[in-house]
Amino acid sequence: MSSESSKKRKPKVIRSDGAPAEGKRNRSDPEQEGKYYSEEAEVDLRDPGRDYELYKYTCQELQRLMAEIQDLKSRGGKDAAVEIEDRRILSCVHFMTLKKLNRLAHIRLKKGRDQTHEAKQKVDAYHLQLQNLLYEVMHLQKEITKCLEFKSKHEEIDLVSVEEFYQEAPPDISKAEITMGDPHQQTLARLDWELEQRKRLAEQYRESLSNKEKILKEIEVKKEYLSSLQPRLNSIMQASLPVQEYLFMPFDQAHKQYETARHLPPPLYVLFVQATAYGQACDKTLSVAIEGSVDEAKALFKPHEESQDDESDSDAEEEQTTKRRRPTLGVQLDDKRKEMLKRHPLSVMLDLKCKDDSVLHLTFYYLMNLNIMTVKARVTTATELITPISAGDLLSPDSVLSCLYPGDHGKKTPNPANQYQFDKVGILTLRDYVLDLGHPYLWVQKLGGLHFPKEQPQPTVIADHSLSSSHMETTMKLLKTRVQSRLALHKQFASLEHGIVPVTSDCHYLFPAKVVSRLVKWVTIAHEDYVELHFTKDIVEAGLAGDTNLYYMALVERGTAKLQAAVVLNPGYSSIPPIFQLCLNWKGEKTNSNDDNIRAMESEVNVCYKELCGPRPGHQLLTNQLQRLCVLLDVYLETEIHDDSVEGPKEFPQEKMCLRLFRGPSRMKPFKYNHPQGFFSHR
Amino acid sequence: MEPVTQACPLDQELNPGPFSPQADALTTEHTGRMEVFQALQRLHMTIFSQCFSPCGKFLAAGNNYGQIAIFSLSAALSSEAKEESKKPIVTFQAHDGPVYSMVSTDRHLFSAGDGEVKAWLWAEILKKGCKELWCRQPPYRTSLEVPEINALLLVPKENSLILAGGDCQLHTMDLETGTFTRALRGHTDYIHCLALRDRNPEVLSGGEDGTVRLWDLRMAKEVQTIEVYKHEECSRPHNGRWIGCLATDSDWMVCGGGPALTLWHLRSSTPTTIFPMWAPQKHVTFYQDLILSAGQGPCVNQWQLSGELKAQVPGSSPGLLSLSLNQQPAAPECKVLTAAGNSCRVDVFTNLGYRAFSLSF
Repeated sequence: MSSESSKKRKPKVIRSDGAPAEGKRNRSDPEQEGKYYSEEAEVDLRDPGRDYELYKYTCQELQRLMAEIQDLKSRGGKDAAVEIEDRRILSCVHFMTLKKLNRLAHIRLKKGRDQTHEAKQKVDAYHLQLQNLLYEVMHLQKEITKCLEFKSKHEEIDLVSVEEFYQEAPPDISKAEITMGDPHQQTLARLDWELEQRKRLAEQYRESLSNKEKILKEIEVKKEYLSSLQPRLNSIMQASLPVQEYLFMPFDQAHKQYETARHLPPPLYVLFVQATAYGQACDKTLSVAIEGSVDEAKALFKPHEESQDDESDSDAEEEQTTKRRRPTLGVQLDDKRKEMLKRHPLSVMLDLKCKDDSVLHLTFYYLMNLNIMTVKARVTTATELITPISAGDLLSPDSVLSCLYPGDHGKKTPNPANQYQFDKVGILTLRDYVLDLGHPYLWVQKLGGLHFPKEQPQPTVIADHSLSSSHMETTMKLLKTRVQSRLALHKQFASLEHGIVPVTSDCHYLFPAKVVSRLVKWVTIAHEDYVELHFTKDIVEAGLAGDTNLYYMALVERGTAKLQAAVVLNPGYSSIPPIFQLCLNWKGEKTNSNDDNIRAMESEVNVCYKELCGPRPGHQLLTNQLQRLCVLLDVYLETEIHDDSVEGPKEFPQEKMCLRLFRGPSRMKPFKYNHPQGFFSHR
Repeated sequence: MEPVTQACPLDQELNPGPFSPQADALTTEHTGRMEVFQALQRLHMTIFSQCFSPCGKFLAAGNNYGQIAIFSLSAALSSEAKEESKKPIVTFQAHDGPVYSMVSTDRHLFSAGDGEVKAWLWAEILKKGCKELWCRQPPYRTSLEVPEINALLLVPKENSLILAGGDCQLHTMDLETGTFTRALRGHTDYIHCLALRDRNPEVLSGGEDGTVRLWDLRMAKEVQTIEVYKHEECSRPHNGRWIGCLATDSDWMVCGGGPALTLWHLRSSTPTTIFPMWAPQKHVTFYQDLILSAGQGPCVNQWQLSGELKAQVPGSSPGLLSLSLNQQPAAPECKVLTAAGNSCRVDVFTNLGYRAFSLSF
């Protein structure tokens, strides 16, 4: 069998490979020895499909030979060994073939790989090229859009519309035949036309300018003529003066005053105009005048020159001072204060004449930097007055106008802004300066048309922007009443100091014919002293004892009884009544806190004051109150119950006619006097 | 001229108020005068009488100007009381002269002043513009001066009101018909005060003549007279004889005024305790086992029956004329003592130890 198999194998090899194959193989072997890598070339020549067939066939042969060898080995015959040897050789050959095939496969694989790699590189290069091209395209597109979007300056120019252009433009510019179809040319033509038009307008403008110049020159000439007219007119006026004087027509004087008034600061101007108007229309007793230097006022209106002067002055001054020594801080502050409190050089004088020929002189000033107005008052009387000691404050310029309106003390600045200005220069209040500057009463501001917000909101609706005209009449009337009541008091005080209570004949009906108690003392006291009196506590606590009031002490005596009366005289007297507080020294000290009847006496003079006012305008009030006090003391003393345990007659026998001695739970005495019958009854 | 004439109409346009600027200047001057006058009026005010409402929540006070003010006690005593709740809720002019006395029934408030008594309905008194229900004048003999009525006293058993004062008589008015039924004469000077005995229908009256008289209402005659000033223990001639205040409790009576404050045993008409108080007393009342009195001086005095001064509680007025205890069971939270006198304030004591606050006209 082994021989069979070997036989069979050989033809098979021949059959399968074929002769050329065998030959080739044979040829190739020496070639192989010559070129080491000839197998690589061989690969190209061989068909991989046939190699695959060969591989399959070789594997089958190998299997068959293995199986035969196994068969032979298992039979274990003698000839087996040879046959096995045969077969082994055959199988070796087959192995060789297999190895060859394997090498070839490897080479093929490598080759395939190389080919793939090469192709891939090629593709990459193409791709890169594509990218470059795309980028270029994009860039070009951008350039194109940029160009498309380009704005030419001519687009901003407002051109005339196309129709207008063709209508108006001359044909050598419009060139209708070319431009109609071509928008580019059209635009160019339109721009040409625009330029042409503009040139023409510029020409026109220049012409107008020269025209204007000419007219200006003409005006100048006319002006010169007018100004030359003024001195001529003046000389005519001057010449007419004697005629005016001769005819008693003071046009010129009034004119002069108005001329001066032009230099007044606005508030004083308002006051001046209003006061003049009021004086002419309603009150012939009011006269108005302007005082002060007009030149100084004029100088105020040229701040520029002045400041230059100032500079040079201050330079010079500085040189001087540096030579001497620097001004101290205090001096500087002082200067600043003076500057702040500076008055306008012009002031307005009002003279208010009262019925009895006494005159109230009011001088109104304007503080330029504080923007407030102040007033100084002075009273002159027709006849020389003997000044009683207690009347010292009555007509003093400091207090004569105090509280003309309630609460208007004139000690504080009405302009809230001033406080800040004061802080800067270290002024605490204006109070320390009012004597020098005058009082900044609220009504003064109103007369000047100045209005400042009040510190506290007012309970009543008050017309804001209170103006001069609305306050003029009331204020003038109040001023007159004030002066008259002060003058009346002045006279009364003179006799009060001599212990005489002057009762005018028209007030006699208020008192019985016989009054025994006498006023023995009438003195003025200080506010502080009043506050410290032990029986004035109530008035102080009720807030009725402000420091703007005037304070007096009266002493009424009858026998051993001494009645002290502390009097608060409101500056608004006589519309606001004086207030009496009593202290009786008789059988111990009696005041309103320990004796109901003393309290009743106070109420008789303080609360029931209206019946004591006398004829209008009520200037007799104070004296009537004092006389009433004397009567009340009489009644009090005469009706006092007599202590039976004390020996001797009554000190004060009852002389007054009384209906009843006591009445009511608080055992009031009959203080009310009934006039014609002359008896006393209870109120 | 220009700035003014321009601004003037503008000014009026801005303020279409009732006052023109000129009138305004006058009003400020006028208000200043009014303020001073009102301050003086308040300063010289005397509150003569006070009376609690039947519900106990209100207090009426009458002053020397004839005004009656109604205070809300519940508001003033509440925890959220403000300054305004211590002011009267209503003030009205009740009489021309002072309001010397007031008493209250379940529905009415009676007020008396110079010669006339007026009745007011409590239900309407809190409304604005309240008018009196009626006004009566006791039959007086013609005189130059109208006698005042110092004291009013309700006699619930016979539904009548007793008036006493300037004409030295006790007038009884029937509240049903409003007629004056009788007049009790006996006092030689005007009558200050009245007090009713709880058991017998008897009335005590004290007057300027220094006597306390006991009247039997059924028989309409005087049954007993005590001339206080004649007893040396209590007489004080320098102060006068007058009896200003009077209070009674069963057989006991306390009276004061010119003579010292004295506790009397009525049946034996002897003074048992003399209270050491120098100042004349104007009001006295029994309260539990104490006697409360007030008069000249700012204090409410509390006495033990033995004559010991238990406490002196200072008030805000220099002199007191009336004390009033609110014991209405309807308003236990308003149980207070009030004191008024020579000022425009009514002191309120929530307990007897100290003054809590003052109501003010």
